[in-house]
Formats: sequence, structure tokens, C-alpha cells
Amino acid sequence: MPTPSLPAPSLPAVAEALDQTLSPECRVPGSKLYTLAKLDAVKAALKQKRPVRVLSIGSSSAGLGASSSYPVKLETALETALPNVQFEVESRALPGEVASGAGERLRTIVAEVEPDLVVWQVGTNDALARVDLDTFSEALDESVKWVMSHDIDIVLIDPVFTASLAEDDYYTRMVRAVQEVARREAVPLVHRYAAMRYLSTRSSDEAHMLGRHFRLNDLGLRCMAEHATRAITLSLLQSDPAATGTAGGRAATSESRDPGKPQTGAPTGN
Amino acid sequence: MREPNAIDFWRGVALVTIFINHIPGNFFERYTFSQYGISDAAELFVFLAGWSIGLATRGRDGKPEPRLTTVLRLLSRTVEVYRAQITIMALALAMIAGCALYLDNPLILEWHNAGGFFADPIQTMVGIVVLTHQLGFFNILPLYVVLIAIAPIVVLLGRVSRPLLLAGSFSLYGASLVFEWNFPSWPGEGDWFFNPLCWQLLLVLGFVSNEVSRESSRLRAWARRLIPLGCALVILGAVLAVLELRPDPMLAPEPRLVFTFDKTYLSPGRLIHFCGMVLAFQAVYGLIAPHVGPLARFLSGLGRNSLAVFSMGSLLSLAAQFVRFQTGGGIIVDVSVVGFGLFALGFTAWFVEWRSRKPRAPRTPPDGGVASAASPRA
Repeated sequence: MPTPSLPAPSLPAVAEALDQTLSPECRVPGSKLYTLAKLDAVKAALKQKRPVRVLSIGSSSAGLGASSSYPVKLETALETALPNVQFEVESRALPGEVASGAGERLRTIVAEVEPDLVVWQVGTNDALARVDLDTFSEALDESVKWVMSHDIDIVLIDPVFTASLAEDDYYTRMVRAVQEVARREAVPLVHRYAAMRYLSTRSSDEAHMLGRHFRLNDLGLRCMAEHATRAITLSLLQSDPAATGTAGGRAATSESRDPGKPQTGAPTGN
Repeated sequence: MREPNAIDFWRGVALVTIFINHIPGNFFERYTFSQYGISDAAELFVFLAGWSIGLATRGRDGKPEPRLTTVLRLLSRTVEVYRAQITIMALALAMIAGCALYLDNPLILEWHNAGGFFADPIQTMVGIVVLTHQLGFFNILPLYVVLIAIAPIVVLLGRVSRPLLLAGSFSLYGASLVFEWNFPSWPGEGDWFFNPLCWQLLLVLGFVSNEVSRESSRLRAWARRLIPLGCALVILGAVLAVLELRPDPMLAPEPRLVFTFDKTYLSPGRLIHFCGMVLAFQAVYGLIAPHVGPLARFLSGLGRNSLAVFSMGSLLSLAAQFVRFQTGGGIIVDVSVVGFGLFALGFTAWFVEWRSRKPRAPRTPPDGGVASAASPRA
């Protein structure tokens, strides 16, 4: 069962306060960080007191000079957040675009790994290929449905924020498409875009040899494991009361806000 | 230089298809044959590689060349392919990094598995050299390196006993499917995108098909008789592809990979469909070649220089992806990048042949005087 170490999620009251459980450089208000939803398969694994198998899909990079890769960080962060639980994180790169066949590959990987939870960082390859967004949404939705149909939980992570694409309409719509699918299928979503956008507004004395955008990217990658972990642990805690009560409370958001807008607070990325 | 022929022609078709399919999202993608079947151009490419190994290891009179010559020839080819892979990987990574810097856009660093290199160059550099770190779309040549490296075994064993060769190849294929054997990726987790333990079968089938069709007119006649079966398989494949009907890997019985349409392991479904394609299209070149002279010459030219064309194609399709990304794509951009790419592929083929003609000409004995007229001086 989920665990003692986390403070109860105090949702609405401190909506805009920074999430203090995160490392200082990764702190973002909860509303910009996640949308929560039920994670039944992970819960089942916890109940059976067996290790939780996590499949991490997407880029596995960790930022320049990071001491460990994202999957390792994810495992560490999950085990720190839930100290009584053992997590086994497998990671796979997913070549190709969701809009043209990567979903097929995902199925093969999922069948091979047989995880309890898939953490899918989605959209980068599709954005780079500028695939048709409707095709993308449809294919993503289908893949998410497929994973869920096999009683496997899934958490989506939307694409990175980078200032050079802040004004790119296509890219923003791509981020929105991921949010839309997460909402429709009631799966937890890590708002990587909004979180990084928020982080980009905060000044920092940390420099990066390749410039500001690369520093942010680095930071975003370093924080992603923590951010994903937060969304997962809170989703586990949050759906607890709802599990016995109404099932209608799926996809409760950490704060009621328009999912169509990737971000509400900071005006621009600069 | 070889005249246009069916093998080079189809290899050219495979190269053009791979080039177009490696620019995901582009307009022409939906018009390549890969969209209308279970197998795709990769199968064709590997099968034809096996076929040409059969041709290359025999003299003009059809007699097998000496064993040592075969081993050295294939070893030298392995070195060439390996060198090509290392070169295009270096260029691709530099293109990705350069593009990210120029556009001030770190997203590009995450392009299809490149992020691993930029995050962890120390381990990944080793992985690139030992072929266990592969970028998306740059994963065919590592397979090819392994296949050409084992090709001497295929050829020499094939000369001793073809049934033995086939039995060995099928056994390895079957065992890899059942036990899910594959070459590992490193430093990233996972396995090779093209599993050499499975794909070797296609190379062997290509090799044996060439050998057999050369010797036995009865088998050739049988292959002709099976054209309708091939057509039926092609139609079935098209229907399944268009309706997106495929087995769910979670529901497939064990051994799972036997029943799914998995590209990595060249699942039987893909293999059968590909054999159907070979049967269905075996006579097509002979029928169309007289009517499409320039096209046949163009595609055969690409096919004759497949390694150079493939390498250039990989880099051009990467460049095309960046152009599409930065401009936002659209039909005009797609026509331009694909059109330019095809021209550049044709130029590559021509250039390679021009380069290899130049120095060789003086070395030909005087009776080759007409051929060497283009470069008369020593």
C-alpha cells in the first residue's frame, strides 16, 4: 500500500505554491506539473507486495554531464518517494513516429516487458517530423487505449518546452494534443512543457556553455524523473478514496483548469 | 559497368523507397509500396544482397571462385560497409548537433535516439563503434555489416550442401523467434532494431534462390507457376495493411513472435508476405523494362552503387527532415526535398562510377582503348 513518507497531497489551497518535495531547481507549482488519474495496475502490484515493473519509453537522455541516466533517476526517485516499494524500471527508445507505426513497435515492447506501468515521453519524434496532428492524436489515443485494455497503467509526459518553439503554433498544438488524449483517456499526465516553461521564467545563475535554451533543456531533463515520480505517487494517493466511492471521479485534475491551454501563468517563455 | 538488369533495378526501387520512408510525414510516403504490405523495402534490400553475393562469388563463366578469394572479397566488403556506417553516423550526429546549435533548439538533440550520445558521449562513442548504439533510420547498415561478415560461411557452406545451409539458417531463425534472442543495444537498454539472427535467413534465401534459379529450369518453371499464389499473398497483405489488421502481441500465443508482424525479428508473417512479393513480381521487370528505359537506367544505376547511394540517402533524408521541420513541411517543401534528394541520389551513383572509372582506365590493356578513351592519359 502507498506509503507513509509522503505528505498528504494538499491540493486546492496551495495551488500556486511551489511543490516543496522537489529538488530546489526543479520546483514548480503542482498545477503546472501534473494531471492526476487512477493507477489501478500499480496499486494491484502494491497490494500484492511485489516489485512494480515500470517501462520507460522515449528519449532516455539525461542532460549533458548528468551523473545518471533518466531511467536510473526515475527508479531512484520512485524508490525514494515510496521507500517500501521496489521498482524495476526498464527503458526503451521508441524509434519512429506515433503517427506512422511507432505504436506498433510500442505494442511489441510492452508485450516483451509486460510492465505494470508505462511512462511514455511522447511527441518529440512526431513534432520533428511535423506529422499530421489529427493522425498523431488518433494514433496516440489508440496506443493508450491498447495499453489500458491490457490492464497496464500508463502515464504520459508531454513534449519539452524550448523557447525557440514557444511561438510555434504547430508545436503548441502538438502539446495540446497530448494533453487532450490524456484527458480523454483519463491517464496521468506530466506537464513537461508547462513545467519547463515555468522554470524558464525563473532566473538562475547557472550558466550553460551552449546558452540559455540548452541550460533549460538540461534542467528539464534532470527534473523529468522527479516530475514524473511526483505525478505517479500523487496519482496513487489521490485515487485512494475515490476507489471505493464513485468511479466518476477519474481524471481529477490537481486544479481545475482548461486542459486546452498548456500553461496559464507565465506570459512568455523568456 | 553492368547493363540495367532486374536485380539492380529492384535494388534501386528499394533504395528510393527507403529514402522516401526515412522522411517521415512527407507527402510521398503514402505512395510507397511499404504502406501497402506487411513487409517493406528492408526485406527487399537484404534479399537482393544475398542474391548478389551469389553472383559476386562466381566468375563470369558461372564457376565458383576460389574459396580464399570469396572470403577475402566478402571481408573487404564488410570493411567497406562498416566504414560507411561509421562515416554516416559521425556525419549524422554532427548534422543533428549543428542543426540544434544553429536553430538554438535543444529539441533536435533528442532526434531518434541521438539524445543518448549527447548525454553520455563516453559510453555511447564506444557503442557507436561496436555498432550497439544505433540512431533511428541508421540501423540497417549495422545489420548489413553482420550479414556480410557471416556471408563467407553462407557461401562456403552453400557450396558443400544447400540443404544443410538452409537447415542451419532456419534453425537459427526459429530459435531466435522462440527464445527471443537478439543482439543487445548498449549503452541504452533494449536490442538491435534489425535482429541479425533472424534477418540472416533472408540473406540465405536470396543467396540460395540465385543459386537454384541459375541451375534448375524446373524450379524456375515452378516459380512462374506460383505467380498467382504470390499475387494472392500481395493482395492479402495490402488488405491487412490498409485495414490495419494485425495480431495483438499481448494476445498472441507463445511463442509470441511467431504470430505477430514484428520487424525486428522478421516474423513469419512478414517473411511469407515478402516471399509472395518475390513470386508476384519476379517477371515484372522483364515486362516493363522495354517501356521505361530511362527509369530502368536510373534505378539500375542506383542499385549498382547501392552502398554509396544508401549512405547518401540516409544523410539526405536526415537533412530533409530538418528542412521539413524548420519550414513546417507542406507539399511544395516535400516536392522540393524529395525531388532534390532523388537527383542527388542519381548524381551519387553517377559520381561513384565516374570516380571508379577514372583511375582504372589507364590500367586497362590497350585493347580496351575505346572504353578508356574518356581518360586517355596515364
